[in-house]
Amino acid sequence: MAVHSERVQTRSPESGKADMAATEQIAPPTAGGTPTNGRPTAGPRLLTRIAPYLLLLPAVLATLFLLGYPLLKTVLVSFQNLNSRQLVQHLTEWNGFENYTDQLSNGEFWHTTGRSVAFTVVNVVLIMVGGTLVGLLLNRLGKWMRLFLSASLILAWAMPIVASTTVYTWLFDQKYGVVNWLLDKLGFHGMLDYNWFSDQYSTFFVIILLIVWGSIPFVAFNMYAGLTTIPTELYEAARMDGAGSLKIFSSVIFPSLKPFFLATTFLEVIWVFKAFTQVFAMNMGGPQRLTETLPVYAFIEGVSNNHYGTGSAIAVLTILMLGALMAYYFRIILKQEDEL
Amino acid sequence: MKRQLIAAVGVAAMVVGLAACGSDGKKADDAAKPKDYNGKTLTAWFMDGSASQAWQDGVKADFEKEFPGAKLNIQIQKWDGIGPKVTTALSEGSVDVLELGNTQTAGYAATGGLADLTKDKANLGGSDWAANLNESSVLDGKQYAAPWYFTNRSVIYNKELWTKAGIAAPPKTLDEYYADLEKLKATPGVSQAIYLPGQEWYTYFGLITSEGGKLVKKDGDKYVGNLSSPEAKAAFATYQKLASFSSAPKDKDEANPQQMTLFPKGDIASMIGLGWEAPAAKDMTADKWGVFPLPGKTADKPSGVFLGGSNLAVAQASKNQDLAKGFLKIALSDKFEGQVAASGLIPNKASLNSQVVGDFAKAALAASVNGATTPNIAAWAGVENNPNPIKEFMTAVLQGGDYDATAKKYDEEITKRLAAKQ
Amino acid sequence: MRRSIIGRSWPNAIAVVLFVFFIFPVYWMVSTAFKQNTDIISKTPVFVPLNGTLEHFDRAVHADGFWTMVGNSFVVTVGAVLASLVIATLASFAVARMKFRGRKTFVLVIMAAQMAPWEVMTISVYLIARDNDMLNSLLPLTIFYMMMVLPFTIWTLRGFIAAVPKELEESAMVDGCTRVQAFVKVVFPLLAPGLMSTSLFGFITAWNEYPLVLILNKQGGQTLPLWLTGFRSAFGDDWGATMAASSLFAVPVLVLFVFLQRKAVGGMTAGAVKG
Repeated sequence: MAVHSERVQTRSPESGKADMAATEQIAPPTAGGTPTNGRPTAGPRLLTRIAPYLLLLPAVLATLFLLGYPLLKTVLVSFQNLNSRQLVQHLTEWNGFENYTDQLSNGEFWHTTGRSVAFTVVNVVLIMVGGTLVGLLLNRLGKWMRLFLSASLILAWAMPIVASTTVYTWLFDQKYGVVNWLLDKLGFHGMLDYNWFSDQYSTFFVIILLIVWGSIPFVAFNMYAGLTTIPTELYEAARMDGAGSLKIFSSVIFPSLKPFFLATTFLEVIWVFKAFTQVFAMNMGGPQRLTETLPVYAFIEGVSNNHYGTGSAIAVLTILMLGALMAYYFRIILKQEDEL
Repeated sequence: MKRQLIAAVGVAAMVVGLAACGSDGKKADDAAKPKDYNGKTLTAWFMDGSASQAWQDGVKADFEKEFPGAKLNIQIQKWDGIGPKVTTALSEGSVDVLELGNTQTAGYAATGGLADLTKDKANLGGSDWAANLNESSVLDGKQYAAPWYFTNRSVIYNKELWTKAGIAAPPKTLDEYYADLEKLKATPGVSQAIYLPGQEWYTYFGLITSEGGKLVKKDGDKYVGNLSSPEAKAAFATYQKLASFSSAPKDKDEANPQQMTLFPKGDIASMIGLGWEAPAAKDMTADKWGVFPLPGKTADKPSGVFLGGSNLAVAQASKNQDLAKGFLKIALSDKFEGQVAASGLIPNKASLNSQVVGDFAKAALAASVNGATTPNIAAWAGVENNPNPIKEFMTAVLQGGDYDATAKKYDEEITKRLAAKQ
Repeated sequence: MRRSIIGRSWPNAIAVVLFVFFIFPVYWMVSTAFKQNTDIISKTPVFVPLNGTLEHFDRAVHADGFWTMVGNSFVVTVGAVLASLVIATLASFAVARMKFRGRKTFVLVIMAAQMAPWEVMTISVYLIARDNDMLNSLLPLTIFYMMMVLPFTIWTLRGFIAAVPKELEESAMVDGCTRVQAFVKVVFPLLAPGLMSTSLFGFITAWNEYPLVLILNKQGGQTLPLWLTGFRSAFGDDWGATMAASSLFAVPVLVLFVFLQRKAVGGMTAGAVKG
């Protein structure tokens, strides 16, 4: 924030020039700008009143047709028996809540849900703790060291997910992967020919490492930016009171950055919960479907197995879970943020 | 200008000539049709490895000659994850002609996405099709596709490495093969005596056939998984024994990575593959590799094989039905079917078997006697969708899972898929 | 004194370890892409490709459809980002500067839309695209990717517009500018960092998108993520070529990011901390 507003201020002289330039050529437009009809003031006033709506119109239309409609369509399809035959022949066969009762009475669905929740918790805890620590570290480093570390964080952050997933499968390759080689060198000789993707937990380990690696930079940079907004006097005061690092974190940093922690944690929860590419591209939910999270499960049941109605029902259930999370988040935001 | 005119007249005359060859009077009216082909594009999907470039070029040339103005757009698709692709394509009408795996044809036919070719069968040369090869194209008495080619897997081996290991002749029994593999394993320069990934279910299917068993069986009027049967278990023991000579990944199939790209590197002594997976001359000259059918328990009979093959079908939603059928007629003509035979595949007519050339095809043709395929039912296609339970089952057992418990679990999954609502 | 030396050096030591942790996968991708096959398939990894080769890149760029998909990816991504910038600039100006009924609702919808579960909506997007005859073209990807990045773009630009002091705009209007002129001449130039940061993140989102294109396009209009995953499964053991392909896919984003990072990170932070 501070960084940002500083930038705006440094730029303002330039915009002063723009002002002057503008002044020279405005007179005619204003004069002609007011349409003269029966009620001279009605035109502009109406325009002022509808201007915001006109400006919002494209965004609203796009949201309705490109987001609202697909959402609605997902709900509609979830009440249909839509398999390959119906898809091919464009048939609509309503089957009420059957897709839902099928899923809700299905152990597979609940296993996957539990797995998704655990997966999200582990990821988000690691991301938040890791990101916070890296952010604190950035704040502590000298200028050059900070630049050096930032550079690597940026590369990890910017790396396209499909590419990084591919790279991780190579790092963890059974025969020639550098990780197995390193573990062997470190004395874990059993790991020499270890197939990371043959086991549920080791596959999850690689996926989680990938997600945490790719997500920490975002949290760390935000954390660092947040830290720079805390006045140094606050630290000094706390230190004079004899507070240690932990105490400073809990009494100075955390309270000042509480909104940041909340916002980031929720964003991460939602991002991880609906993560698809990392899980699917890594091992397609395998081995033996044991690393399927809800979005992957919806894809495999819906698209791979041609049960599009079932897949949509799983999607709707997933969306409901996300919605519950979001509602909770919004309540907090609305309480805190009067800026809205 | 003049030359163009002559050309145009020539083309028109040719078309009239073609139409005149038509057997019934109706065709004559179609003489005016060529104009309609202008700007029309026929989209045909072929599978990776099926149609050689020469075959594609030849068919394309003949097609565009016979239907002036029409374009043929050939798209090559990969087998992996093909089910949903074909299903959605059939629903879109974005494809006119498709190559379909013989095990999956019934499934697509049942969706209503394939045009009924019963009336066109004779015109396509159907009276000469080998009856056993045509089976998979028929569902409920209707012809939904045309058989195109068949093939099955044989052992492709690296002659140099075998000579180096001191093996004079290909094995006649499985036990001999095991002994050879043992020797190969100890031979320097051999990284794998056999390349056999954990999910090569076609070979496993063939081994079950050898044991006289079935992968799925009929239980009353429905089909159920049958991995728990003693025959399937015995067949798996053979598979496992063969796989123990391989360091190929247990959780991958033969296309991931493509085993055909590995074999020509020269350190794999043998692999079980299809004709098109055999090394191309530019990678490994023909004298360096050989073929033999996977031997059986006794010398008198090789192992059973999975009868693989492809059919050609027309999409119901295609807006170019006539063109599509015309294309089929060209593609299945003796000229091009003969090329299929010459490229080492088994053609759809016994009369063309004499044109089958190459060690591979000859071995395959011999082994096809002991071949079997999956039940010709609509639900089967669903079993092969990713994640394929047969493949998952094989990986689970190869990685140390208890056979009986794992088989029970996956039998349930297979049964569930066979009973899936349509 | 002793303590302070240690106290000063441990953050640096940790920073070096973290540096390696974060950069290594990227380094390994690029270095593998340049290595000789014998160095890749080696029981002891070669960490620096001294005798590098370009053969893997050669292989990757000559793989089926590479250049078509590069073109597709660029068209779709740039189209989506530009369209969303135009729509978002209008909307975010209204939100940041005007008072009207329904403003709060709109902001809430935008915040929620930012977290829209696109990953599980692919089936319905597919059906919509199919029923409107848009399949196998670049149109559905462009408009849906536009929608994917639109909420974020509005949200971030709103922050940037709000940060421009109102007085600047007002003084321009006092000087006789219309509101539109005041915006174009005063506010818009100050939005450059905001526009850059949002377009950068929009670019990454659209460039990366995988689940939707996975089901949408089968013959025309495929994009690079699909090409890369296909390439990887077909050349599964050819790590040199696979890493070269990954590098080619990642490089545009990495370059753009490093080039724009100062502004981008600042912008992202502004948006996120507010959010």
